[in-house]
Amino acid sequence: MKELQVPLNQTQKIRLQTALQKLQDLSSKVDHSIVAVADTISVNHDDGFLKGHGTTELDGEVVATVCGVVERVNKLVYVRALKPRYQAERDGYWLGVIADGAVIYVTWTRIVPERWKVEINFSQDAVLMLSSMNMPDGIQAEVRDTFQHDGTLHLQARSRKYGKLEKGQLLTVSPYLVKRSKQHFHHLEEFGIDLILGSNGYIWIGEHVEARDNQENPSNQQNGTSNKRSVNLAVPEKTYTALEKRQQICRIANAIRVLSSLGFNMTKEIIMVIVNMSITLNVEIHEMLGAEFYVRVAEKEVERRSSLKMGRG
Amino acid sequence: MVGLSTGEKHFIKGGIDQDLRSDGRRRLTYRPISVETGVIPQANGSARLRMGETDVIATVKAEIGKPSHLHPNRGKVSISVDCSAIASPVFEGRGGEELSTELSVALQRCLLGGKSGAGAGIDLLSLNVMEGKICWDLYIEGLVINADGNLLDALGALSNTGIPKVNVAAEFSAEEQPEVDISDEDFLRFDTSSVPVVITLTKVGKHYIVDATLEEESHMSSAISVSINSRGQICGLTKRGGAGVDPSVVLDIISVAKHVSEHFIMKLDSEISAAEADEAGS
Amino acid sequence: MDRRIPLRKEIEYLSPEGLRLDGRLPSELRQISAQIGAVPNADGSAVFEMGNTKVIAAVYGPRKVQNWGQQINDQALVRCEYSVANFSTGDRVRRPKGDRRSTEISLVIRQTMEACIMTHQMPRTQIDIYVQVLQADGGTRSACINAATLALAAAGIPMKDLVTSCGAGYLNGTPLLDLNYVEDSAGGPDVILGILPTLNRVTLLQADSKLTMDAFESVMQLVTEGCMAVADYIRSVLREHTKQLELRRGV
Repeated sequence: MKELQVPLNQTQKIRLQTALQKLQDLSSKVDHSIVAVADTISVNHDDGFLKGHGTTELDGEVVATVCGVVERVNKLVYVRALKPRYQAERDGYWLGVIADGAVIYVTWTRIVPERWKVEINFSQDAVLMLSSMNMPDGIQAEVRDTFQHDGTLHLQARSRKYGKLEKGQLLTVSPYLVKRSKQHFHHLEEFGIDLILGSNGYIWIGEHVEARDNQENPSNQQNGTSNKRSVNLAVPEKTYTALEKRQQICRIANAIRVLSSLGFNMTKEIIMVIVNMSITLNVEIHEMLGAEFYVRVAEKEVERRSSLKMGRG
Repeated sequence: MVGLSTGEKHFIKGGIDQDLRSDGRRRLTYRPISVETGVIPQANGSARLRMGETDVIATVKAEIGKPSHLHPNRGKVSISVDCSAIASPVFEGRGGEELSTELSVALQRCLLGGKSGAGAGIDLLSLNVMEGKICWDLYIEGLVINADGNLLDALGALSNTGIPKVNVAAEFSAEEQPEVDISDEDFLRFDTSSVPVVITLTKVGKHYIVDATLEEESHMSSAISVSINSRGQICGLTKRGGAGVDPSVVLDIISVAKHVSEHFIMKLDSEISAAEADEAGS
Repeated sequence: MDRRIPLRKEIEYLSPEGLRLDGRLPSELRQISAQIGAVPNADGSAVFEMGNTKVIAAVYGPRKVQNWGQQINDQALVRCEYSVANFSTGDRVRRPKGDRRSTEISLVIRQTMEACIMTHQMPRTQIDIYVQVLQADGGTRSACINAATLALAAAGIPMKDLVTSCGAGYLNGTPLLDLNYVEDSAGGPDVILGILPTLNRVTLLQADSKLTMDAFESVMQLVTEGCMAVADYIRSVLREHTKQLELRRGV
């Protein structure tokens, strides 16, 4: 939850308060599972347990090392941290998606003809060595081996389903707001836009790109020839996104910005609800970041969650 | 700090070209502005301004001083800006010094005028208490809390906010200042209508935009900051950035800036009065 | 916050009723308040106020080590910079960055925080803690440490325990908790304590001026209680913040 950046007037403040209060009433009680740093987590010592992320042992007791929500899966006890958005320097030559659904920045330098040193800004800035990758067109790479001992990851390119990410914008939100799922890539057909909800909180909204797998010999994917990789890296296409498409990209981006500053979970469906609401209300794109729309989104979320609850109950 | 990928850079440029920026703004639209006054109680006047994610604090302190020999009938104003490391790790140590100095000097130029201070945006004559003996010294200090572009305009707007709030309590005992009897609490009043705002137009590609974000500023080839008061008078100009500008464009920019400033001043005034009402209410 | 204080002998720091200049009891903390998330650019940030003292802490990291030579292979590099705004005190003084006082406080904060961060879980990374004083009215050191703890926790950096800090002094024969500027400048001893409240360890202890053994013991007792009270408050702020995030997120 970022500090409120929009200036609200008195009525808007009260409306927002009411909406947030309602959200609180709607949620199931979470109090007992919230822990702060150094809080003791109760475990059943007789049954045996496994300590997961965000926990440590102190005098035979399990203690939280981060703030978050205690989760128990069978014998595993861990703390799900509500990590803020990762503010790594956004820096890199190209953007790409890796297999576990994270959007990454990639910069590479050629060391020797067959080897490239690839640096990505992902999590704690692991340095990645690529043994083979379809470069420069596709940054689609997959984490094959994780070498824990030296912290480097080995990436291996496999398919080029997404290609590199161009013609669009990247937003960063707190990763906990993006639900991890197999489906992080969405093609919004009605707009012709690709939406990638990266599991690391990097969200890409860009023009839809057709998968171009068929243009290349699949057998090339594992060991593309080196001259192919050195296709001119520097020249971007000089055509701009069409205005209409750009409007849609910006509208979706602003919907995400509002959701992020309110700290609401985001899925494709929720984002589209907000986008459609802005269109129905005839809100200009930049006004979506203003006070009135901000409050409206909060109210809409109350509506959505209560109808969900009704449906369930 | 911002090193976006080529695709993103291209997208931002294209947006400016098509008059639809990444957050949906047009070239001459500002981000939402909010003002909070009286944030630093030990200062005579203070305000915090947020413009999108740019967040700055400015304070004004007033002290009794002695006017210089050259200008016995004028007060003195000093302006300094500090970029706090909390805003960005690049400001750590001496890292923020260059930017701090650039901003301080640009603000000085925009608000204080030349050496004599005759044509300054802030009327130095109004700071005179007793010619040749006593005057007010104003210290305007800015602190950058979070940087997301357009710092100069934000700071300029703040100096505008802080000054009208200057309220010097009459705490100087007769002993210290035998020559004057400062009893009136509201002794120090300024003609705020003439305190200028700063409007920066940043050139990206062929076009000029206002209120550039950090991402947009990373594309800047040049920028012109114009300081304009509510009467539409230009109080100072600063061109930043390396690239050259066509002379005819300069006049163009100034007239655009003047146009923009009218809206900006109006918006700012309403935010300030809202903030003051808020402060008085709480 | 006027710094022109009359001579020390003229002041009674405790009224006959046993109240201090600002109306507090000897063992009473000033009003404390904390707020998480004031700096959107940072990975974690917090504002901490103790009475009129107000500081902002921002944490950047864990991130790639910026200066390759400083990289540590089996743990994270923790860095800290403390700075004071020119307008933070009553009288206006130009404070150059990196004077001896700030360097010393930066060092103190770094060492204190390093003791609780689980640095071995984040090898070859760097964590930067920046603390900015906006208002100084005594107890800035303690306020900075408390703010830094909150900012680190908000950034999701794993810690063994929280660190909380508080100061105390001894004036007019009475131990006084959490001195403000006027009391601090009275010339009496000033004891600053930082503790790991759950692990029950002292991580920071600084004191100046003469003090008898007995008096020190009572001051130490008081300041420990103060740190515990701050710890309770910080914990409740963190829990509430986490709860709000979870509630808002929905799902």
